[in-house]
Amino acid sequence: MRDSVTGILSRSPSTTVCALAAHALTMISDPSVVVLSGPKVAMVQLRIQESVADTVFNGGEVLVTETRLELNGVFGFGMVIGDQPEYATALAVLDALGRIDGPHRAYMTDAVADLARALTTKHQSEFAASNSTKVAFDTF
Amino acid sequence: MGYIAARGGTQAILNAELLVEYMRLHAASDPIGIDQIRDQMRAAVGRAMNEGALYAPNLAALALKQSEGDSIDASFLLRAYRSTLQRVMPTIPARGVDIRCQRRISASFKDIPGGQMLGPSTDYQIRMLNTLLMHESTADVQRILKEYDALIAQHADTDERAGYFPKVVDYMRAEQMVPFVRDDEGAEPFDITRTALTFPCSRSARLQSLAQADTGCLLTYAYSSVRGYGDAHPTLAELRFGALAIAVTHPLTGEPVCIGEIVVTECEIVSKAHSVAHNQERPYFQLGYGFTFGHSEVKAMSMGILDSVLSQAKRNGLSGESGPAANEEFVLLHSDGIEASGFTAHYKLPHYVTFEADLKVLERAVDHVESDALNPHAAHATTAKERL
Repeated sequence: MRDSVTGILSRSPSTTVCALAAHALTMISDPSVVVLSGPKVAMVQLRIQESVADTVFNGGEVLVTETRLELNGVFGFGMVIGDQPEYATALAVLDALGRIDGPHRAYMTDAVADLARALTTKHQSEFAASNSTKVAFDTF
Repeated sequence: MGYIAARGGTQAILNAELLVEYMRLHAASDPIGIDQIRDQMRAAVGRAMNEGALYAPNLAALALKQSEGDSIDASFLLRAYRSTLQRVMPTIPARGVDIRCQRRISASFKDIPGGQMLGPSTDYQIRMLNTLLMHESTADVQRILKEYDALIAQHADTDERAGYFPKVVDYMRAEQMVPFVRDDEGAEPFDITRTALTFPCSRSARLQSLAQADTGCLLTYAYSSVRGYGDAHPTLAELRFGALAIAVTHPLTGEPVCIGEIVVTECEIVSKAHSVAHNQERPYFQLGYGFTFGHSEVKAMSMGILDSVLSQAKRNGLSGESGPAANEEFVLLHSDGIEASGFTAHYKLPHYVTFEADLKVLERAVDHVESDALNPHAAHATTAKERL
């Protein structure tokens, strides 16, 4: 899931994702966007499956922004953590674009691959810092 | 005795609010930015979020600014804001094994698969005030960032799975140290925000309640059980802190949609095998689970200890007999900081009518005692009459 397209888009810089959506939108003819709802700030209830007895419980709420739209009659859904209306709408546009054939698909695939590489590098850097604190305790 | 509404004092109340703002700003220091609180007061932001039961770092920072750092008030503001928002859907259940760890330790085993990483921690420092922070400058910030970059260069890791580790409890299960227990509650967990708690409650209700409970309260109950008013002997099986990706279900395709990451703390507490568990075929260690938003290790551990204590008490029919922390109803009904502080604070509000009734009761009691003193034979007669 975290390596999926949404896993990459939702964890990349919002400005980059918004620019990606805006550019991809220019690659289809006569784009017509109808916003069905949002962007609205709402909550999702966080479900956790814990590790003692596999109990699923509600761990609290997470503030999100959600947009639902139609792009040339194709449904698009965008949701992102936090109060980020442009980001949510960009994700909804990209979601709809993913179900429309056209040259934008190849562009999006390449762009997502670039974002994935940048995300991996960022995570590896963060891990490298944590890895510097790896410890082997001796007992005596 | 019912409550009687009081009215009036509008201007005084408005002026009082102005004085609060004055107290915050009168020294003419620069107003604190929300981003400064969010980034530099991580512990306070995390606490406000997990006690307010709303993951929203910017709003938690705002709440802390508005409440002048009062953690309970900040979580109250978040919880109140939460009530104005629509809940659009639940997430797909997230699991701790998917946490991208920045910190991962175990107190049970020296060598765990993947190794232990201390991560961002002051656990091993002497608690001394760092007076250098009194005059922290931009140059100091740049120096720290430069040292961090050097650290990354020195410990670069190209593993794409870097940061993801197996769970210590899975290893313990494989070694038959802890039981394979599966909850039979079903997929839909209890929701304490929609249904009032009744006892005995389900484990999902308990965990939700503990996750949004007051940190200090959980710490007190857990400490009581560890220190002597109970029988808990906890050891930390694993504690991890890091980023957890969250997903929801796509409303059209039904496929998982990742919506980003949240910062969480998770732990499992292992406690000694109990001989009182006579109904078990094989002795095992007991486990407890802790989870919080943000970086809140003491709360997560307190939650894990209490979960373990309450599970054992329930399993062996010993609820409340192994100290107050083993009484599920007592623990869960008194650990919500917002409810507790709200109830306590409401005694500051006008209670003139109820107190007038108390005054009349006091007057009657005084009259009764004084009349007894003046006429002891009558008092004895009354007492004798009452006995009949």
